[in-house]
Amino acid sequence: MIADVKKLTYSYGQVRALDSVDMDLPEGAIGLLGPNGAGKSTLIRILLGFLPPDKGSGHVLGYDIQSQQTEIRKHVGYMPEDDCFIPGMDAVSFTSYLGELSGMPKQEAMKRAHEVLFYVGLEESRYRQVETYSSGMKQRLKLAQAIVHDPKLIFLDEPTSGLDPSGRKEILELITDISSKKDIHVLMSSHILPDIESTCSHVVILSEGKTAAQGSISELKKIKYSLYEIRTYGDDKGFLRKLEEMGCKVELVEDKIIKIYMPPDKSHLELFRHAVEQDVQIRHFVKSQTSLEDLFAKAVGAE
Amino acid sequence: MPIKEKGYTHWDGELKKSKYPWIPITRKGIKLAFRKKFFKFTFFLTLIPAIAYLAGIYVSERLEDFAFLTQDSEIVSFLKINPGYFNSYFTQGFLLFMIVVILVFCGAGLISDDLRYNSLQLYFSRPITKKDYFLGKASVIAFFLFILTLIPGIIFLLMKIIFSGNLKFISDYPWLIVSITGYSVFLTCFFAFYTLFVSSVNKNRRYVSILIFGIYVFSDILYGIFKGIFESEYFSLLSIKANIQQVGAAFFGQKLPHNIPWIYSFLVLLFICMLAGFVLNKRVRGVEVAQ
Repeated sequence: MIADVKKLTYSYGQVRALDSVDMDLPEGAIGLLGPNGAGKSTLIRILLGFLPPDKGSGHVLGYDIQSQQTEIRKHVGYMPEDDCFIPGMDAVSFTSYLGELSGMPKQEAMKRAHEVLFYVGLEESRYRQVETYSSGMKQRLKLAQAIVHDPKLIFLDEPTSGLDPSGRKEILELITDISSKKDIHVLMSSHILPDIESTCSHVVILSEGKTAAQGSISELKKIKYSLYEIRTYGDDKGFLRKLEEMGCKVELVEDKIIKIYMPPDKSHLELFRHAVEQDVQIRHFVKSQTSLEDLFAKAVGAE
Repeated sequence: MPIKEKGYTHWDGELKKSKYPWIPITRKGIKLAFRKKFFKFTFFLTLIPAIAYLAGIYVSERLEDFAFLTQDSEIVSFLKINPGYFNSYFTQGFLLFMIVVILVFCGAGLISDDLRYNSLQLYFSRPITKKDYFLGKASVIAFFLFILTLIPGIIFLLMKIIFSGNLKFISDYPWLIVSITGYSVFLTCFFAFYTLFVSSVNKNRRYVSILIFGIYVFSDILYGIFKGIFESEYFSLLSIKANIQQVGAAFFGQKLPHNIPWIYSFLVLLFICMLAGFVLNKRVRGVEVAQ
């Protein structure tokens, strides 16, 4: 377990950002998913000790989030969402400086800064002033400073924001590489579903400051419901109404495809029975894999 | 020979818990200050009074070689090396003015740049505390101010002993070393609080520079205006410079330049430091919290 929180609550004045959040984060790559304003960044900031929780408790790597923040920060790397750098420095000085602040000896920090800048693909521009960097380069630099001290866990707050598709792909590849092959755990917040789906094995979905769902992505996809895609011929209004009465969620998508989210206790045979009763032909029937998008929409109650 | 894995490799060192985690912040702040245009030249200018006063100590011991200087009674009285000589160096308007100029160069961006470029979260995601952060930033100011106050003061003292060839000066004024150290530390603490406070109130370094300089100069102008109108020495409490000179004179046991108790000036400066501490604590945090 890399982190756990119990009944974590935090408010910005009158606005409740986190409302009794409970989570257990296993090892590996974990996605923190939620729409904007769901409380993802607030949660990361509390885990880092930037904000004191109003209520609740938590641990990161076994250290208490309220009393052992220094220990947490020693073993954790943080890649913030906003643009952030120290002007007047080149990338090597910047990265080694932050390594030193983490507790690395000066010479080691400098050596390591070169290594991580190579790793994130900034080897050619590592002597350029950081303020002259493009958005994509700044994202890579932020990742470099987060891993310079070889942390056990990295918090990545919207790591792909502001990147073009190729930049995004490259950053995601780096994150996947770090989390899958390098024995470093990753907690990545994002509102971009494919980013989480492609890099993480577990997900915590936050909605309006509450935990809407959490667990292994594959398990979450499996156990909640069965998803079928069908195409019908004939007047299907009565048929679809019957399915909804049965507890299914019906969603019309493009190309006359209808997605049926069926509760686990129902059989797909009932779907055919209703079709026969309502005199509707089913001309296409596929048992579909639920995507994270489906899970996300269901968890946060979005249509 | 081992084949190295391409890409990310783990670091095989060990993170150390430093007793002084603020030292990298200070080192970087000093380095960045020296990279600024005209800073080295300005800093050299600031050292000119120290060089002149050092020359004065040498001349005071070799008056027979500089007979032409003894014809001017003002020069002769200036060349009497006593605590007043030290006081005149430490509290002279030019030195204080140049200190403020140095603060503009080395101190204006210390916090304002971190606020502007969101770098506070980078600092505080590391195992350093607010105290370490402030100490690191304040030490940048202390470094430059000690070069202008404490170090010249000690060098003056040593040179006086070396040039005179005996320890009479020390035995006459054994407390002088304490005065030099105490005043230098006091001045450095005050200017560190003052500069960091002003640096934290705005994200624009230029605006902060104007404020650092403007508050110092304007407070003195204000004192001049009120004193001219009301003819009361109590208005010297409005002036940062006058307060420093008043406290400086008290440190060196000299006649106070303003006819009010020095403790009032001390309390005014202390109040500024406390206000600065309060504001800094509010302004500097890991994340901007929009209420």
